[in-house]
Order: sequence, then C-alpha cells, then structure tokens
Amino acid sequence: MPMLQLPPEVADVLRSFYTCEVTTVNRQGQPMTWPALAYFDEPNGQLFFSVSIAFPVKAQNARRHPQVSLLYSDPTGSQLTDPPAVLVQGDATVADVLDLFEPRIKGLSDLAAKRQPDSGAFSSNKVARRLFDWYLFKRIGIAVTPRRILVWSNRDFSRAPHTVEVANVE
Amino acid sequence: MWNEKLAACVKDYSSGVLTVVDETTGYPMSVRCAPQMDTAREVFIIPDAPLFTAGWRGKACLLFHRHNDRLEGLHQLVVRGELTREDGVLTLKVGEFVTANGRSDTDAMPHAGAPLHMLQFLLLGRRKARAYLAKRGEPWPPIPYDKIDRALVEDAQKKKQGK
Repeated sequence: MPMLQLPPEVADVLRSFYTCEVTTVNRQGQPMTWPALAYFDEPNGQLFFSVSIAFPVKAQNARRHPQVSLLYSDPTGSQLTDPPAVLVQGDATVADVLDLFEPRIKGLSDLAAKRQPDSGAFSSNKVARRLFDWYLFKRIGIAVTPRRILVWSNRDFSRAPHTVEVANVE
Repeated sequence: MWNEKLAACVKDYSSGVLTVVDETTGYPMSVRCAPQMDTAREVFIIPDAPLFTAGWRGKACLLFHRHNDRLEGLHQLVVRGELTREDGVLTLKVGEFVTANGRSDTDAMPHAGAPLHMLQFLLLGRRKARAYLAKRGEPWPPIPYDKIDRALVEDAQKKKQGK
C-alpha cells in the first residue's frame, strides 16, 4: 500500500489530533460514531485503530459495511495552532490482532502511551495487565484506506469543505 | 427513548458531532455543530446547521465526547435517532441514548478514581470477551507476557535515558 500525498496541514492533523470521531454503519443502516485514537500508518497510507474483543461492534459493522469515516474535529492536546478539521472517508479491512509487535500495533500503543501518560501506571502493573487482558491485548484491528478527504479550514463548519484528492506516492 | 440523566450530561458540551450516511456512496458524513436540546419535545435542534448538512435526512447520530490534554477525564455519549427538517430547522428525533461504559446514568468512562465503576467495567468486559471468543469458535492465542514484560522494561529504560 503506497504512502498518501497530503497537504502538510492535513497530514499534521492526522498525526497530531489525540482522538478522532469514527463512524461505522450497522446492519440497520444506522451510523454510530465513537471517539477513537487512530494511528496514521504513513508508510502504508492508512489510518489504523483497534477495539477490544469485548466491545467489537465497530469491527463487526466495518466487516459488513466497509465504508467508514474518521472526523478530526477536536484538537485538544494536539498543540497545533488553528488546525483545520478533516473528514476521511475510506474503506476498512478488519482482522484480529494476533501479533502485538507488528509495527502499526506498536505504533498505536506507543501513541497511546505518549498521549495518555497516566495510563502507564495501569499498564505497567502485572496484575492489571492480566485482569484486563481482554482490553489491552485481545483486540481487533481496523485499517482504513482513505478514498475521499474533506477539509474545513480553521475548523469553520459554517463554510463548505474543500476536497483533497487522495493521491498516493509509489 | 429519552433518558433524563444522560440528557443532563449533554448540558456539559458546547458542540457535538452529527453524522448521517450518504445513500449514494454508503460512506458516513460527519460535521461538528452546536445542537440545542429541547427536553419538552425530546429532540435536538441544530439552528445554525453547517452548509455541509444540506439535504441530510434519515438515520443519524450525535456524538458528544471530551477529554483533557492528557487524554484523561474521558466522557462520551451518543444519541441516535431520525434526522428531519421541521420548519426549516434540522432536528434529530431521539431514538436512544447510548453510552460506552455499560451504564445509563453517566457518560463518564471508567477510571482509577472510581474503583467501583472500574470493577463493574472489568466484569462487563470479561463477560463480553468470553461471549466474543465463544462465537469466534477458537481460543485466542496465548498472550506473550514475557515478551511484553521485557518490552515494557526496555521502553522504561529508553524513557529514562531520554531517547
């Protein structure tokens, strides 16, 4: 999968926003949006996030209906100055996370540790790690290949977004 | 169904994320907007709806969430329902309030400062994980705890050395 060629301010948002709002669509055609921490897998031109096997609805929805979206609209913690809002619409592929040391899994967990430093006290506790194995280590990965990207400058939703063509660098 | 306690939580948010599905492409479309709650009619109205929502109708949801700059203090709540236009104003008729914490009285996510809530979440998670594995039909591969423990020690050392 090739890298994405994106305007720098859009790439900064994908790298720096702490959370995005992920939407999947259920069997009844109902969209459900939840916040998620997504890892920008730059070498593969994808966005990657995961869910615990205890709460697999996003993954189950994405398996049935692969068209998903990620909205980056809350810059809290990102330290970016007046960033745009970005909506990524893309196609999801879903798979159980069986190798915890795969680069993008490692990338995601490093990102979580960096952005949520207080969680270190929890995850470094051996007992907690075993009690919460279903949350920390038994996960389903969702990789999203962007198909269309919409951008609102200054996160001004009163204006129409502009579309960024999704171009890949081979 | 309207939920008084969760509706009260919504008052802590100045904006939310409204989403519908584009019927022609199948992709979801979302915007951040400033919904107003009308408790008497049990609806949310979006008086200054973003341009992008022109023509939006049908099944929709509104997400409210927040966190601080250390990704703590997590709160999240979804309202799902039917989006219509009433007298030209975008209106979400509430079908259901949904939380991610297994509770119907708060949008706060479990955290160490609320041990009882954390314990309830632990039990819920273990039960649901067992159900997932039963459906999956084969056991999850063993967790490589030794390798994880070593990696955590290495990460801690790197952090100490400022790498």
